[in-house]
Amino acid sequence: MEARGGVGAGSAPAPEASGDPERPFRVASAQEPAGAPGSPEACGPPRADEELPGALAEPEKEAPTHLGVHELSGQTSLEKKDNKGSKDAGRAGKMPGTGDGSQRGELAAPGPRDEEDVTAEGWRSRRKHVFVLSEAGKPIYSRYGNEEALSATMGVMMALVSFIQSGDNAIRSIYSDDRTLVFLQQGPLVLVAVSRTPQSAAQLRCELLGVHAQIVSVLTRAGVARVFERQRSYDLRRLLAGSERILDSLLDGAEREPGFLLGAVRCLPLPAPFRDSLGALLQRATAPSLAFSILAAGRHLVTAAQERAVLEDCRLDPADLHLLLNLVGASSAFRAGEVWAPVCLPRFNPDGFFYAYVSYLGDNTDYAICLVLLSTDREAFHALAGCKRIVEEGLQALGASRVLAGGGVGLPSYGVSAVGTPDLRHFLYKPFDVPDNYRQLPQFTSPEMEGPYASECERQRLFDLYYHLHGRLHSPSRPLRLIYHVAEKETLLAWVTPKFELYACFNPLVTKSGAIHAVTKLLRWVKREEDRLFIRYPPKYSTAPGPARHGPNRTDSALENGL
Amino acid sequence: MNVGKTSLLHRYMERRFQETVSTVGGAFYLKQWRSYNISIWDTAGREQFHGLGSMYCRGAAAIILTYDVNHLQSLIELEDRFLSLTDTASTDCLFAIVGNKIDLTDDAGGEDDAEDEPGKATGTCNSARAPKRVCLEDAMALYKKILKYRMLDEKEVPAAEKMCFETSAKTGYNVDYVFETLFDMVVPVILRQRAEGPSQTVDITHYKPAKQTQSRCCV
Repeated sequence: MEARGGVGAGSAPAPEASGDPERPFRVASAQEPAGAPGSPEACGPPRADEELPGALAEPEKEAPTHLGVHELSGQTSLEKKDNKGSKDAGRAGKMPGTGDGSQRGELAAPGPRDEEDVTAEGWRSRRKHVFVLSEAGKPIYSRYGNEEALSATMGVMMALVSFIQSGDNAIRSIYSDDRTLVFLQQGPLVLVAVSRTPQSAAQLRCELLGVHAQIVSVLTRAGVARVFERQRSYDLRRLLAGSERILDSLLDGAEREPGFLLGAVRCLPLPAPFRDSLGALLQRATAPSLAFSILAAGRHLVTAAQERAVLEDCRLDPADLHLLLNLVGASSAFRAGEVWAPVCLPRFNPDGFFYAYVSYLGDNTDYAICLVLLSTDREAFHALAGCKRIVEEGLQALGASRVLAGGGVGLPSYGVSAVGTPDLRHFLYKPFDVPDNYRQLPQFTSPEMEGPYASECERQRLFDLYYHLHGRLHSPSRPLRLIYHVAEKETLLAWVTPKFELYACFNPLVTKSGAIHAVTKLLRWVKREEDRLFIRYPPKYSTAPGPARHGPNRTDSALENGL
Repeated sequence: MNVGKTSLLHRYMERRFQETVSTVGGAFYLKQWRSYNISIWDTAGREQFHGLGSMYCRGAAAIILTYDVNHLQSLIELEDRFLSLTDTASTDCLFAIVGNKIDLTDDAGGEDDAEDEPGKATGTCNSARAPKRVCLEDAMALYKKILKYRMLDEKEVPAAEKMCFETSAKTGYNVDYVFETLFDMVVPVILRQRAEGPSQTVDITHYKPAKQTQSRCCV
């Protein structure tokens, strides 16, 4: 936070003729960063990861109050006049897309995603924009509005990126009074976030990495590289057509799911014996070439099992799991069918595909439990459909609908009152002190948003506070271990220890000792409930050496878990 | 470009039209029809999923190739890109060619700059230039090409007139007719095969990938 303010101030005091039509172009292509007055940061060592706020904020000061999309789009028209090359690039992006775009409008679910007027104030004042473009400046994705209408704006972004690149450097972020711009280059793709949220640049960068990973999950990193090697000006939307919705839903999720912030998975709270029997069920329902079995409810993990040999390579990463569940949630057109699709898990292997079998379980929609099976065999669909039948029958035998539907009130969850500390309003708790094999799948728990945070807007506010505190705890320059933060309408405590990371929100009148007392109580409660809140011993199975699919496997695995 | 395979199937299965998202991979459905279980694969049109095509088509008893009647290019691509995916289908596999989105033809609402590809290779079209609407004759010509490609005798398979359809997933026009005509043709064949030889499948199952197309926009 301080850093932002400081940098903003640093860039402000260099007044410049405003409204000069030549300005943006000249700055983007010719002006030396070192020449930027009032921005000593720019003259710093030309390390690739150096932040260059001064140099880049400087050209924007024709609008002294803030810089952001407003100004960027203002510039674009100028850019068009001044820079023929960029204009052409924009056009080139547009031409093949014309048919595509109209067709997509038809395709996309109701919602004015593409129709949003990118010149309107409403578009500019969005909390957060995310853009993806190719190195050739060709638009690939925009969170709001049709990316084709933005091809000129994206051209400007690319100009900024290339300009800094030409000095053997890389642009990372631009700060203004009320916006943060973050740039991220990943192979031939450039990702840009323009945010008014309190997220730090590091957090925004994480989010952009997530967007990139989601693209990779559809195409693989090697696949993306390959198409651009063949043709630098390739219009990647040809391959991503239909995936915009998946990216939209990822970004929506990042706004309301703390899992993205914490890099952890939220588990559905379940009685431990029940979860264990679900795990055993997954162990029973295996087929050759099966690598991962996942049961999920929405974005909540019910249980996950992994092939033992695959496990030795790598434990399923929470980031990959987020992508996978997002993909499943965003792309299931209708739930009657069984989906078979290649999916890449970027953290596991960004260049390879798994084949994912996805099916919702149960006939009724009381509980939307989804089974995801990942196989390495392209032809394994029917074998995995057989596994699904085993799981489905097993769920019935276990009376799963009773447990999971929780008497018709939706999925099992808990309120903060369960902790029994009246001062506590909400919390996020991510443990580290867990059995060895479990540490590798980071999890967190948090109660329902209730009381003052029931409304969407208050929930957003609380999340913003969590984001702010998380940014402070994990600040690259000055990390903190404990923050006691008195906000306007609540008091928060953020605490990271070798054993856990905790964010707790109290009523505003709590005293410091009251808060400490409540946290102690909370920690004790979590300890008591951890078997229910977390997956303690994720099941494994073997599929490689022969068919170990029957009873013995079960006992074997129980022994293997050892506890 | 989407031709509406998922919408077509959705209309048939769920009796309604719904906006869908672009299919990832393929989706497998079971349809209870009379006393039979019919397995249907809804495939992705996107190029990146073509690798899976051979799996869907293996052992298929019928394949519905779908194009968009408003885009000649979509019919052309059926031949250029999708036909080869059907190589794994069994020799007696039936082919149906379905032109979807017929509801859009009359006023040609929407985009009118249909590809003016010189697609004259395939046959007779009423409007000589920049055809807005693909004629049924074009589809029939493709049907005959498929027979040739698969080295089948025209006399031994259903005639082109019977295997080319025009539908609208949006209004439901002709949709049931397409599926049920095919089921009527295909079930007896499977029953006969089962009676004759050792069955390869447990259920009376046939797969029917609907295939289609994406407009290849050149940059």
